[in-house]
Amino acid sequence: MAPPGAYLVVSAVLFAIGMIGFLSRRNIILMLVSAEIMLNAVNVSLAGFSHQMQDHRGQILALFVIAVAAAELAAGLALMIALTRNRPGVQVEELTQLKW
Amino acid sequence: MAISAGQIVFYYLAAAGIASAILAVTRRNPVHSVLWVLSLFLHVAGLFLLAGAEFLAAVQIIVYAGAILVVYVFFLMLVDLPKEEAGPRFGAHWPLCLMVGLGFAAIALWVRVPGLQTAAPAPAAAPNTGSVESFGSALFKQFVLPFEILSLVLLAAIVGAVVVGRRRTEA
Repeated sequence: MAPPGAYLVVSAVLFAIGMIGFLSRRNIILMLVSAEIMLNAVNVSLAGFSHQMQDHRGQILALFVIAVAAAELAAGLALMIALTRNRPGVQVEELTQLKW
Repeated sequence: MAISAGQIVFYYLAAAGIASAILAVTRRNPVHSVLWVLSLFLHVAGLFLLAGAEFLAAVQIIVYAGAILVVYVFFLMLVDLPKEEAGPRFGAHWPLCLMVGLGFAAIALWVRVPGLQTAAPAPAAAPNTGSVESFGSALFKQFVLPFEILSLVLLAAIVGAVVVGRRRTEA
């Protein structure tokens, strides 16, 4: 049995790692992967809460988060395909058409 | 204070998961990154098992490791790998990103300390939370409306992906 709060520590650290990756990587695919790391970190804390409180609802919420992650994957990668069709290469710095 | 086997497993899973995540965001080769994320997802599934969420662990492996990561690897074929490896991994602003991330972690760890000791340890009212049977009955009775709305979300994502990703035909 893990000490109480250990799940939250793991979750916070994983979320921070995902955040750093999302903000600093230059490759769009790896930015999306970092977003998945962040969603997973949230799931860890939800499972930890569910365990701590002996309550199902945390697990159900985590299931919903997984489904939303799948939806995000579909939408994000479709956008990426549309981008690559117009200009090959997936570096974020090159996407400046919307810059004012 | 004796350390139980469960604690050892927990610390292993946590440390290996965090190490995998760090490697995933720092590797130069995107394929290696995605493989480290696979390792992270498997360790997180182990954490779910340890937290008594068996169904969630199975979904984690099937959906995340099985489906989502495969799609990511598939889309990495769009990347010019040698060119990608030659260029810089991080944007020029990465020290700022590192500070933001570490600041977030510091705030999260600092905020959690007081409230967590009061978290009620295990009211005995709900038996075997982890069992798939009780989980499924809660999902399909109490949470059936959000569950159905979730199918709409997925449908919208599918339709959106097709519309956005389709080749424009000049009509």
